[in-house]
Amino acid sequence: MKLAELQTRFQAGIVKGDDTILAAIADSRRTDRATLFAVYHDAYRLRLAEFLSTDFPVLRAHLGEEAFGLLVEDYIESAPSRQPNARWYGTRLPDFMQKTAPWRRNRSAIDLARFERALSDAFDAPDAPIGTIDALRNICAEDWPRLAFEFHPSLRLLDLQSGTAQIYAALAEDEEASVIQQGEEAIVFWRNDGQSFYRPLEEDERLALMEAQQSKCFADICALLAFQRNDAGVTQRVAGFLSQWFADGLITRLSLSD
Amino acid sequence: MEKPSPLGFGLGLRPFYYQDILAKNPRVDWFEVISENFMVPGGRPLAMLERIRSAYPVVMHGVSMSIASTAPLDFDYLRALKSLAGRFQPEWISDHLCWTGVHGVNLHDLLPVPYTFEALDHIVDRIRRVQDFLGRRLAIENVSSYVTFAESEMDEWTFIREMAERADCWLLLDVNNVFVSSFNHSFDQASFIDAIPDDRVVQLHLAGHTEAVTHKIDTHDQPICEEVWSLYHEVCPRFGSISTMIERDDNFPPFDELMAELDRARAIAACTRTPAHEAAA
Repeated sequence: MKLAELQTRFQAGIVKGDDTILAAIADSRRTDRATLFAVYHDAYRLRLAEFLSTDFPVLRAHLGEEAFGLLVEDYIESAPSRQPNARWYGTRLPDFMQKTAPWRRNRSAIDLARFERALSDAFDAPDAPIGTIDALRNICAEDWPRLAFEFHPSLRLLDLQSGTAQIYAALAEDEEASVIQQGEEAIVFWRNDGQSFYRPLEEDERLALMEAQQSKCFADICALLAFQRNDAGVTQRVAGFLSQWFADGLITRLSLSD
Repeated sequence: MEKPSPLGFGLGLRPFYYQDILAKNPRVDWFEVISENFMVPGGRPLAMLERIRSAYPVVMHGVSMSIASTAPLDFDYLRALKSLAGRFQPEWISDHLCWTGVHGVNLHDLLPVPYTFEALDHIVDRIRRVQDFLGRRLAIENVSSYVTFAESEMDEWTFIREMAERADCWLLLDVNNVFVSSFNHSFDQASFIDAIPDDRVVQLHLAGHTEAVTHKIDTHDQPICEEVWSLYHEVCPRFGSISTMIERDDNFPPFDELMAELDRARAIAACTRTPAHEAAA
Protein backbone atom coordinates (compact mmCIF):
# COMPACT_ATOMS: atom_id res chain seq x y z
CA MET A 1 0.00 0.00 0.00
CA LYS A 2 1.32 3.43 -0.91
CA LEU A 3 2.07 5.81 1.98
CA ALA A 4 -0.64 8.26 0.85
CA GLU A 5 -3.30 5.56 0.87
CA LEU A 6 -2.15 4.23 4.23
CA GLN A 7 -2.42 7.71 5.76
CA THR A 8 -5.85 8.29 4.23
CA ARG A 9 -7.10 5.00 5.69
CA PHE A 10 -5.44 5.64 9.04
CA GLN A 11 -7.11 9.04 9.27
CA ALA A 12 -10.49 7.58 8.23
CA GLY A 13 -10.07 5.03 11.01
CA ILE A 14 -9.56 7.79 13.56
CA VAL A 15 -12.14 10.30 12.33
CA LYS A 16 -14.87 8.02 10.94
CA GLY A 17 -14.19 4.72 12.69
CA ASP A 18 -13.52 3.04 9.33
CA ASP A 19 -11.66 -0.20 10.17
CA THR A 20 -10.06 -0.96 6.79
CA ILE A 21 -6.73 0.33 8.16
CA LEU A 22 -6.61 -2.63 10.56
CA ALA A 23 -5.56 -4.91 7.67
CA ALA A 24 -2.29 -2.95 7.45
CA ILE A 25 -1.54 -3.11 11.20
CA ALA A 26 0.08 -5.97 13.10
CA ASP A 27 -1.07 -7.41 16.43
CA SER A 28 1.42 -6.97 19.27
CA ARG A 29 2.61 -9.83 21.47
CA ARG A 30 0.23 -8.70 24.21
CA THR A 31 -2.89 -7.53 22.43
CA ASP A 32 -4.72 -7.21 19.15
CA ARG A 33 -4.44 -4.47 16.54
CA ALA A 34 -7.95 -3.10 17.18
CA THR A 35 -7.08 -2.40 20.81
CA LEU A 36 -3.85 -0.69 19.80
CA PHE A 37 -5.44 1.38 17.04
CA ALA A 38 -8.10 2.50 19.53
CA VAL A 39 -5.37 4.42 21.37
CA TYR A 40 -5.26 6.85 18.42
CA HIS A 41 -9.03 6.81 17.85
CA ASP A 42 -9.82 7.61 21.47
CA ALA A 43 -6.98 10.10 21.96
CA TYR A 44 -8.27 12.16 19.04
CA ARG A 45 -11.65 12.69 20.69
CA LEU A 46 -10.22 13.18 24.17
CA ARG A 47 -7.75 15.76 22.92
CA LEU A 48 -10.29 17.82 20.97
CA ALA A 49 -12.73 17.62 23.90
CA GLU A 50 -9.98 18.90 26.18
CA PHE A 51 -9.32 21.86 23.87
CA LEU A 52 -13.01 22.78 24.00
CA SER A 53 -13.24 22.31 27.78
CA THR A 54 -10.25 24.59 28.21
CA ASP A 55 -11.68 27.30 25.96
CA PHE A 56 -15.31 27.10 27.16
CA PRO A 57 -15.26 26.29 30.90
CA VAL A 58 -18.26 28.48 31.72
CA LEU A 59 -20.34 27.13 28.83
CA ARG A 60 -19.54 23.68 30.22
CA ALA A 61 -20.73 24.70 33.69
CA HIS A 62 -23.86 26.27 32.19
CA LEU A 63 -24.86 23.25 30.13
CA GLY A 64 -23.76 20.59 32.62
CA GLU A 65 -21.48 17.64 31.89
CA GLU A 66 -23.97 15.58 29.91
CA ALA A 67 -25.17 18.32 27.53
CA PHE A 68 -21.68 19.76 27.10
CA GLY A 69 -20.44 16.25 26.29
CA LEU A 70 -23.13 15.93 23.58
CA LEU A 71 -22.21 19.35 22.17
CA VAL A 72 -18.53 18.36 22.06
CA GLU A 73 -19.39 15.09 20.29
CA ASP A 74 -21.54 16.90 17.72
CA TYR A 75 -18.86 19.51 17.08
CA ILE A 76 -16.01 17.00 16.76
CA GLU A 77 -18.17 14.95 14.38
CA SER A 78 -18.93 17.92 12.15
CA ALA A 79 -15.76 20.00 12.47
CA PRO A 80 -12.39 18.28 12.32
CA SER A 81 -9.50 20.58 13.17
CA ARG A 82 -7.85 22.26 10.20
CA GLN A 83 -5.35 24.33 12.15
CA PRO A 84 -1.81 23.47 13.24
CA ASN A 85 -2.45 25.31 16.50
CA ALA A 86 -5.04 23.70 18.80
CA ARG A 87 -5.77 27.19 20.12
CA TRP A 88 -8.06 27.83 17.16
CA TYR A 89 -10.04 24.58 17.25
CA GLY A 90 -12.97 26.04 19.19
CA THR A 91 -13.18 29.21 17.12
CA ARG A 92 -16.11 27.93 15.09
CA LEU A 93 -18.08 26.53 18.04
CA PRO A 94 -20.44 29.53 18.48
CA ASP A 95 -21.24 29.57 14.74
CA PHE A 96 -21.78 25.81 14.82
CA MET A 97 -24.22 26.19 17.72
CA GLN A 98 -26.12 28.93 15.89
CA LYS A 99 -26.61 26.71 12.84
CA THR A 100 -27.16 23.29 14.37
CA ALA A 101 -30.13 21.69 16.17
CA PRO A 102 -30.73 21.40 19.06
CA TRP A 103 -28.12 24.01 20.04
CA ARG A 104 -29.52 26.76 17.81
CA ARG A 105 -32.56 27.03 20.10
CA ASN A 106 -30.41 27.70 23.17
CA ARG A 107 -29.66 31.42 22.87
CA SER A 108 -28.15 31.74 26.34
CA ALA A 109 -25.67 28.93 25.63
CA ILE A 110 -24.76 30.36 22.23
CA ASP A 111 -24.12 33.76 23.75
CA LEU A 112 -21.99 32.31 26.54
CA ALA A 113 -19.95 30.56 23.84
CA ARG A 114 -19.58 33.87 21.98
CA PHE A 115 -18.64 35.55 25.26
CA GLU A 116 -15.88 33.03 26.05
CA ARG A 117 -14.60 33.10 22.50
CA ALA A 118 -14.34 36.90 22.62
CA LEU A 119 -12.28 36.63 25.82
CA SER A 120 -9.97 34.08 24.15
CA ASP A 121 -9.66 36.19 21.00
CA ALA A 122 -8.79 39.27 23.05
CA PHE A 123 -6.20 37.27 25.02
CA ASP A 124 -3.84 36.69 22.11
CA ALA A 125 -4.89 39.39 19.64
CA PRO A 126 -2.04 41.43 18.12
CA ASP A 127 -0.09 43.76 20.42
CA ALA A 128 -0.20 47.54 20.18
CA PRO A 129 1.07 50.28 22.49
CA ILE A 130 -1.72 51.73 24.62
CA GLY A 131 -2.26 55.48 24.61
CA THR A 132 -2.69 57.59 27.73
CA ILE A 133 -5.09 60.40 28.38
CA ASP A 134 -2.10 62.75 28.45
CA ALA A 135 -2.19 62.63 24.64
CA LEU A 136 -5.30 64.83 24.82
CA ARG A 137 -3.23 67.66 26.34
CA ASN A 138 -1.55 68.19 22.97
CA ILE A 139 -4.89 68.68 21.22
CA CYS A 140 -5.91 72.34 21.10
CA ALA A 141 -9.56 73.26 21.61
CA GLU A 142 -10.31 74.04 17.95
CA ASP A 143 -9.02 70.59 16.89
CA TRP A 144 -11.26 68.60 19.24
CA PRO A 145 -14.14 68.28 16.75
CA ARG A 146 -11.74 66.58 14.26
CA LEU A 147 -10.34 64.18 16.84
CA ALA A 148 -10.40 60.53 15.70
CA PHE A 149 -9.34 57.38 17.52
CA GLU A 150 -7.51 54.12 16.87
CA PHE A 151 -8.32 51.18 19.09
CA HIS A 152 -6.38 48.25 20.47
CA PRO A 153 -6.57 45.20 18.14
CA SER A 154 -7.97 43.13 21.00
CA LEU A 155 -11.19 45.18 21.19
CA ARG A 156 -14.37 43.17 20.51
CA LEU A 157 -17.90 44.53 20.80
CA LEU A 158 -20.74 42.01 21.02
CA ASP A 159 -24.51 42.34 21.32
CA LEU A 160 -25.66 39.49 23.53
CA GLN A 161 -28.81 38.38 25.28
CA SER A 162 -29.18 40.48 28.43
CA GLY A 163 -27.75 38.83 31.54
CA THR A 164 -25.02 36.92 29.67
CA ALA A 165 -22.23 38.78 31.47
CA GLN A 166 -23.97 38.21 34.81
CA ILE A 167 -24.31 34.49 34.13
CA TYR A 168 -20.68 34.32 33.05
CA ALA A 169 -19.48 36.12 36.18
CA ALA A 170 -21.52 33.88 38.49
CA LEU A 171 -20.56 30.58 36.86
CA ALA A 172 -16.89 31.59 36.65
CA GLU A 173 -17.01 31.88 40.45
CA ASP A 174 -18.90 28.56 40.84
CA GLU A 175 -22.02 30.40 41.94
CA GLU A 176 -25.67 29.98 40.94
CA ALA A 177 -26.81 32.35 38.23
CA SER A 178 -30.50 33.21 38.46
CA VAL A 179 -30.99 35.81 35.75
CA ILE A 180 -34.10 36.64 33.75
CA GLN A 181 -32.87 37.15 30.20
CA GLN A 182 -34.92 39.71 28.30
CA GLY A 183 -33.65 42.02 25.58
CA GLU A 184 -30.02 42.57 24.72
CA GLU A 185 -26.86 43.91 26.28
CA ALA A 186 -23.69 45.23 24.67
CA ILE A 187 -20.38 43.97 26.05
CA VAL A 188 -16.94 45.27 25.16
CA PHE A 189 -13.95 42.91 25.45
CA TRP A 190 -10.29 43.87 25.38
CA ARG A 191 -6.86 43.01 26.73
CA ASN A 192 -4.70 45.13 28.96
CA ASP A 193 -1.36 44.05 30.45
CA GLY A 194 -1.83 40.47 29.27
CA GLN A 195 -5.29 39.99 30.77
CA SER A 196 -8.68 39.90 29.03
CA PHE A 197 -11.36 42.22 30.40
CA TYR A 198 -15.01 42.90 29.68
CA ARG A 199 -17.67 45.34 30.78
CA PRO A 200 -21.24 46.11 29.73
CA LEU A 201 -21.97 49.31 27.81
CA GLU A 202 -24.98 51.58 28.03
CA GLU A 203 -26.63 52.24 24.68
CA ASP A 204 -25.02 55.70 24.27
CA GLU A 205 -21.52 54.40 24.88
CA ARG A 206 -22.11 51.44 22.58
CA LEU A 207 -23.17 53.79 19.81
CA ALA A 208 -20.23 56.14 20.43
CA LEU A 209 -17.75 53.26 20.44
CA MET A 210 -19.16 51.78 17.22
CA GLU A 211 -18.91 55.15 15.50
CA ALA A 212 -15.41 55.78 16.83
CA GLN A 213 -14.29 52.34 15.60
CA GLN A 214 -15.44 53.38 12.14
CA SER A 215 -13.08 56.38 12.27
CA LYS A 216 -15.87 58.90 12.92
CA CYS A 217 -14.50 62.05 14.57
CA PHE A 218 -15.47 63.49 17.92
CA ALA A 219 -17.87 66.05 16.38
CA ASP A 220 -19.66 63.39 14.29
CA ILE A 221 -20.06 61.13 17.31
CA CYS A 222 -21.47 63.98 19.38
CA ALA A 223 -23.81 65.01 16.55
CA LEU A 224 -25.15 61.47 16.17
CA LEU A 225 -25.79 61.08 19.88
CA ALA A 226 -27.40 64.52 20.09
CA PHE A 227 -29.68 63.59 17.19
CA GLN A 228 -30.61 60.27 18.76
CA ARG A 229 -31.15 61.62 22.25
CA ASN A 230 -32.15 65.22 21.57
CA ASP A 231 -29.79 66.01 24.43
CA ALA A 232 -27.71 69.17 24.89
CA GLY A 233 -25.18 67.64 27.34
CA VAL A 234 -23.87 65.11 24.86
CA THR A 235 -20.37 66.59 24.45
CA GLN A 236 -19.57 66.08 28.10
CA ARG A 237 -20.91 62.52 27.98
CA VAL A 238 -18.76 61.61 24.96
CA ALA A 239 -15.75 63.21 26.67
CA GLY A 240 -16.54 60.98 29.65
CA PHE A 241 -16.60 57.88 27.41
CA LEU A 242 -13.26 58.96 26.00
CA SER A 243 -11.78 59.24 29.45
CA GLN A 244 -13.02 55.73 30.32
CA TRP A 245 -11.64 54.29 27.05
CA PHE A 246 -8.22 55.67 27.92
CA ALA A 247 -8.48 54.30 31.47
CA ASP A 248 -9.43 50.85 30.12
CA GLY A 249 -6.54 50.84 27.66
CA LEU A 250 -8.79 50.70 24.60
CA ILE A 251 -7.26 53.61 22.68
CA THR A 252 -3.87 53.27 21.04
CA ARG A 253 -3.62 56.50 19.04
CA LEU A 254 -5.28 59.85 18.36
CA SER A 255 -5.36 61.58 15.00
CA LEU A 256 -7.08 64.55 13.39
CA SER A 257 -9.51 63.77 10.58
CA ASP A 258 -9.49 65.84 7.38
CA MET B 1 29.44 18.77 11.07
CA GLU B 2 29.70 20.52 14.38
CA LYS B 3 26.91 19.95 16.86
CA PRO B 4 25.49 22.90 18.81
CA SER B 5 27.11 23.25 22.23
CA PRO B 6 25.32 21.37 25.02
CA LEU B 7 22.89 23.56 26.92
CA GLY B 8 22.81 21.53 30.13
CA PHE B 9 19.56 20.50 31.82
CA GLY B 10 16.24 22.08 30.85
CA LEU B 11 12.49 21.96 31.33
CA GLY B 12 9.49 22.40 29.09
CA LEU B 13 8.15 25.95 29.42
CA ARG B 14 4.45 25.62 30.31
CA PRO B 15 2.02 28.38 31.41
CA PHE B 16 1.35 26.50 34.67
CA TYR B 17 4.92 27.31 35.76
CA TYR B 18 5.29 30.89 34.48
CA GLN B 19 4.94 32.44 37.92
CA ASP B 20 7.36 29.95 39.54
CA ILE B 21 9.94 30.68 36.87
CA LEU B 22 9.59 34.45 37.05
CA ALA B 23 9.53 34.50 40.86
CA LYS B 24 12.26 31.94 41.57
CA ASN B 25 14.64 32.42 38.65
CA PRO B 26 15.26 28.67 39.00
CA ARG B 27 18.49 26.80 38.34
CA VAL B 28 17.30 25.55 34.95
CA ASP B 29 19.88 25.83 32.18
CA TRP B 30 17.39 26.29 29.34
CA PHE B 31 13.75 25.91 28.37
CA GLU B 32 12.07 24.08 25.54
CA VAL B 33 8.95 25.80 24.20
CA ILE B 34 6.14 24.27 22.15
CA SER B 35 6.43 26.33 18.96
CA GLU B 36 2.70 26.31 18.15
CA ASN B 37 1.76 27.76 21.55
CA PHE B 38 3.55 30.95 20.55
CA MET B 39 2.29 31.14 16.96
CA VAL B 40 -0.34 33.65 18.03
CA PRO B 41 -0.69 37.29 17.02
CA GLY B 42 0.23 38.74 20.43
CA GLY B 43 -0.63 38.87 24.11
CA ARG B 44 0.62 37.20 27.26
CA PRO B 45 2.21 34.05 25.76
CA LEU B 46 4.62 36.07 23.63
CA ALA B 47 5.23 38.61 26.41
CA MET B 48 6.12 35.78 28.82
CA LEU B 49 8.44 34.19 26.30
CA GLU B 50 10.17 37.55 25.80
CA ARG B 51 10.82 37.78 29.54
CA ILE B 52 11.99 34.21 29.95
CA ARG B 53 14.09 34.30 26.77
CA SER B 54 15.94 37.33 28.13
CA ALA B 55 17.21 35.15 30.98
CA TYR B 56 17.48 31.63 29.49
CA PRO B 57 18.39 29.95 26.19
CA VAL B 58 15.40 28.33 24.48
CA VAL B 59 14.82 25.55 22.00
CA MET B 60 11.68 25.46 19.84
CA HIS B 61 9.87 22.11 19.75
CA GLY B 62 6.98 21.69 17.32
CA VAL B 63 4.10 19.24 17.13
CA SER B 64 2.47 20.16 13.80
CA MET B 65 5.15 20.18 11.10
CA SER B 66 3.80 16.82 9.95
CA ILE B 67 7.08 15.99 8.28
CA ALA B 68 5.95 12.47 7.33
CA SER B 69 2.59 13.48 5.87
CA THR B 70 1.81 12.96 2.22
CA ALA B 71 -0.09 16.28 2.27
CA PRO B 72 1.87 19.18 0.77
CA LEU B 73 4.22 21.01 3.14
CA ASP B 74 2.35 23.81 4.90
CA PHE B 75 4.38 26.88 4.03
CA ASP B 76 2.08 29.19 5.98
CA TYR B 77 3.02 27.15 9.05
CA LEU B 78 6.71 27.16 8.10
CA ARG B 79 6.69 30.93 7.54
CA ALA B 80 5.17 31.42 11.02
CA LEU B 81 7.77 29.06 12.48
CA LYS B 82 10.61 30.89 10.77
CA SER B 83 9.29 34.23 11.94
CA LEU B 84 9.02 32.98 15.55
CA ALA B 85 12.56 31.64 15.35
CA GLY B 86 13.76 34.98 13.99
CA ARG B 87 12.24 36.73 16.97
CA PHE B 88 13.33 34.36 19.76
CA GLN B 89 16.58 32.95 18.34
CA PRO B 90 16.25 29.34 19.57
CA GLU B 91 19.37 27.20 19.80
CA TRP B 92 17.64 24.77 17.44
CA ILE B 93 14.21 23.76 16.16
CA SER B 94 12.84 20.26 16.57
CA ASP B 95 9.74 18.30 15.58
CA HIS B 96 8.71 14.66 15.42
CA LEU B 97 9.13 11.75 13.04
CA CYS B 98 5.41 11.54 12.46
CA TRP B 99 2.48 12.92 10.52
CA THR B 100 -0.49 14.81 11.97
CA GLY B 101 -3.07 14.59 9.20
CA VAL B 102 -3.86 14.59 5.49
CA HIS B 103 -6.52 16.23 3.28
CA GLY B 104 -6.40 19.49 5.25
CA VAL B 105 -7.19 17.91 8.61
CA ASN B 106 -5.01 18.14 11.72
CA LEU B 107 -5.55 15.26 14.14
CA HIS B 108 -3.31 16.87 16.79
CA ASP B 109 -1.47 13.61 17.37
CA LEU B 110 1.96 12.24 16.54
CA LEU B 111 0.91 9.51 14.12
CA PRO B 112 3.16 6.56 13.28
CA VAL B 113 5.10 5.97 10.09
CA PRO B 114 5.56 2.67 8.25
CA TYR B 115 9.29 1.99 8.07
CA THR B 116 9.38 1.51 4.30
CA PHE B 117 11.83 2.73 1.68
CA GLU B 118 9.05 4.81 0.13
CA ALA B 119 8.39 6.59 3.45
CA LEU B 120 12.12 7.08 3.99
CA ASP B 121 12.58 8.75 0.59
CA HIS B 122 9.52 10.91 1.16
CA ILE B 123 10.57 12.07 4.63
CA VAL B 124 14.20 12.69 3.71
CA ASP B 125 13.05 14.90 0.82
CA ARG B 126 10.71 16.87 3.07
CA ILE B 127 13.26 17.38 5.84
CA ARG B 128 15.72 18.70 3.27
CA ARG B 129 13.13 21.09 1.84
CA VAL B 130 12.16 22.36 5.30
CA GLN B 131 15.81 22.79 6.28
CA ASP B 132 16.43 24.75 3.09
CA PHE B 133 13.44 26.97 3.83
CA LEU B 134 14.36 27.56 7.48
CA GLY B 135 18.06 27.92 6.69
CA ARG B 136 19.06 25.56 9.51
CA ARG B 137 19.16 21.88 10.44
CA LEU B 138 16.10 20.42 12.14
CA ALA B 139 16.27 18.00 15.05
CA ILE B 140 13.84 15.11 14.52
CA GLU B 141 12.48 13.16 17.49
CA ASN B 142 11.53 9.48 17.71
CA VAL B 143 7.90 9.18 18.86
CA SER B 144 6.08 6.67 21.04
CA SER B 145 3.94 4.43 18.88
CA TYR B 146 1.16 1.98 19.60
CA VAL B 147 0.91 0.13 16.28
CA THR B 148 3.34 -1.32 13.78
CA PHE B 149 2.63 -1.72 10.09
CA ALA B 150 2.75 -5.13 8.44
CA GLU B 151 4.57 -3.70 5.45
CA SER B 152 7.49 -2.07 7.32
CA GLU B 153 10.74 -3.03 5.65
CA MET B 154 13.21 -2.10 8.38
CA ASP B 155 13.48 -1.42 12.12
CA GLU B 156 12.61 1.98 13.51
CA TRP B 157 16.24 2.58 14.48
CA THR B 158 17.52 1.68 11.02
CA PHE B 159 14.97 4.04 9.54
CA ILE B 160 16.01 6.88 11.88
CA ARG B 161 19.71 6.37 11.24
CA GLU B 162 19.19 6.36 7.46
CA MET B 163 16.92 9.38 7.67
CA ALA B 164 19.41 11.40 9.71
CA GLU B 165 22.32 10.61 7.42
CA ARG B 166 20.48 11.21 4.16
CA ALA B 167 18.60 14.32 5.28
CA ASP B 168 21.64 15.64 7.17
CA CYS B 169 19.49 16.53 10.15
CA TRP B 170 19.98 16.42 13.91
CA LEU B 171 18.20 13.92 16.14
CA LEU B 172 16.31 14.42 19.38
CA LEU B 173 16.38 11.12 21.26
CA ASP B 174 13.35 10.70 23.52
CA VAL B 175 14.38 8.12 26.11
CA ASN B 176 10.83 7.62 27.36
CA ASN B 177 9.59 7.05 23.81
CA VAL B 178 12.23 4.36 23.29
CA PHE B 179 11.05 2.69 26.49
CA VAL B 180 7.32 2.98 25.62
CA SER B 181 7.73 1.75 22.05
CA SER B 182 10.09 -1.06 23.08
CA PHE B 183 7.42 -2.33 25.46
CA ASN B 184 4.57 -1.90 22.96
CA HIS B 185 6.46 -3.59 20.13
CA SER B 186 8.66 -5.94 22.15
CA PHE B 187 12.00 -4.78 20.80
CA ASP B 188 15.34 -4.55 22.54
CA GLN B 189 16.05 -1.03 23.80
CA ALA B 190 19.80 -1.53 23.39
CA SER B 191 19.38 -2.29 19.69
CA PHE B 192 17.63 1.04 19.28
CA ILE B 193 20.10 3.08 21.31
CA ASP B 194 23.19 1.43 19.80
CA ALA B 195 21.99 2.14 16.25
CA ILE B 196 21.43 5.86 16.78
CA PRO B 197 24.41 7.85 15.44
CA ASP B 198 25.72 9.80 18.42
CA ASP B 199 27.16 12.54 16.22
CA ARG B 200 23.60 13.43 15.15
CA VAL B 201 21.93 13.59 18.58
CA VAL B 202 21.71 17.11 19.99
CA GLN B 203 19.16 16.57 22.72
CA LEU B 204 17.55 14.00 25.03
CA HIS B 205 13.97 14.02 26.30
CA LEU B 206 12.86 12.46 29.56
CA ALA B 207 9.18 12.10 30.49
CA GLY B 208 6.57 9.99 32.23
CA HIS B 209 3.90 7.83 30.65
CA THR B 210 0.70 5.91 31.46
CA GLU B 211 0.40 2.15 31.88
CA ALA B 212 -2.48 0.37 30.12
CA VAL B 213 -1.61 -3.29 30.99
CA THR B 214 -1.04 -4.47 27.41
CA HIS B 215 0.63 -1.28 26.29
CA LYS B 216 2.04 2.02 27.53
CA ILE B 217 0.91 5.49 26.41
CA ASP B 218 3.13 8.55 26.15
CA THR B 219 1.14 11.06 28.21
CA HIS B 220 3.75 13.26 29.95
CA ASP B 221 1.45 13.40 32.98
CA GLN B 222 3.42 11.22 35.41
CA PRO B 223 6.84 11.34 37.05
CA ILE B 224 9.65 9.66 35.13
CA CYS B 225 9.48 5.96 36.05
CA GLU B 226 12.41 3.91 37.37
CA GLU B 227 12.77 1.94 34.12
CA VAL B 228 13.20 5.19 32.16
CA TRP B 229 15.74 6.45 34.70
CA SER B 230 17.62 3.15 34.23
CA LEU B 231 17.55 3.51 30.48
CA TYR B 232 18.78 7.11 30.80
CA HIS B 233 21.64 5.76 32.95
CA GLU B 234 22.53 3.39 30.11
CA VAL B 235 22.14 6.07 27.44
CA CYS B 236 24.27 8.75 29.09
CA PRO B 237 27.72 7.22 28.52
CA ARG B 238 26.89 6.91 24.83
CA PHE B 239 26.20 10.63 24.31
CA GLY B 240 28.38 12.29 26.94
CA SER B 241 27.60 15.90 27.66
CA ILE B 242 24.27 16.47 25.93
CA SER B 243 21.33 18.86 26.30
CA THR B 244 18.70 17.03 28.34
CA MET B 245 15.22 18.11 29.36
CA ILE B 246 12.08 16.89 31.12
CA GLU B 247 8.67 17.15 29.47
CA ARG B 248 5.63 17.54 31.71
CA ASP B 249 2.35 18.44 30.01
CA ASP B 250 -0.43 17.53 32.43
CA ASN B 251 -1.16 16.62 36.06
CA PHE B 252 1.40 19.28 36.93
CA PRO B 253 3.28 18.74 40.21
CA PRO B 254 4.73 21.58 42.30
CA PHE B 255 7.65 23.15 40.47
CA ASP B 256 10.10 21.87 43.09
CA GLU B 257 9.21 18.27 42.17
CA LEU B 258 10.24 18.91 38.58
CA MET B 259 13.43 20.54 39.82
CA ALA B 260 14.13 17.41 41.91
CA GLU B 261 13.73 15.26 38.77
CA LEU B 262 16.06 17.60 36.91
CA ASP B 263 18.65 17.27 39.70
CA ARG B 264 18.37 13.50 39.44
CA ALA B 265 19.09 13.74 35.70
CA ARG B 266 22.10 15.95 36.44
CA ALA B 267 23.39 13.43 39.00
CA ILE B 268 23.01 10.46 36.64
CA ALA B 269 24.75 12.33 33.83
CA ALA B 270 27.58 13.37 36.16
CA CYS B 271 28.20 9.88 37.51
CA THR B 272 28.27 8.33 34.04
CA ARG B 273 30.74 10.81 32.57
CA THR B 274 34.03 9.25 31.53
CA PRO B 275 37.47 10.84 31.04
CA ALA B 276 36.79 10.76 27.29
CA HIS B 277 33.67 12.86 27.83
CA GLU B 278 35.61 15.30 29.96
CA ALA B 279 38.21 15.65 27.22
CA ALA B 280 35.52 16.15 24.56
CA ALA B 281 33.76 18.76 26.69
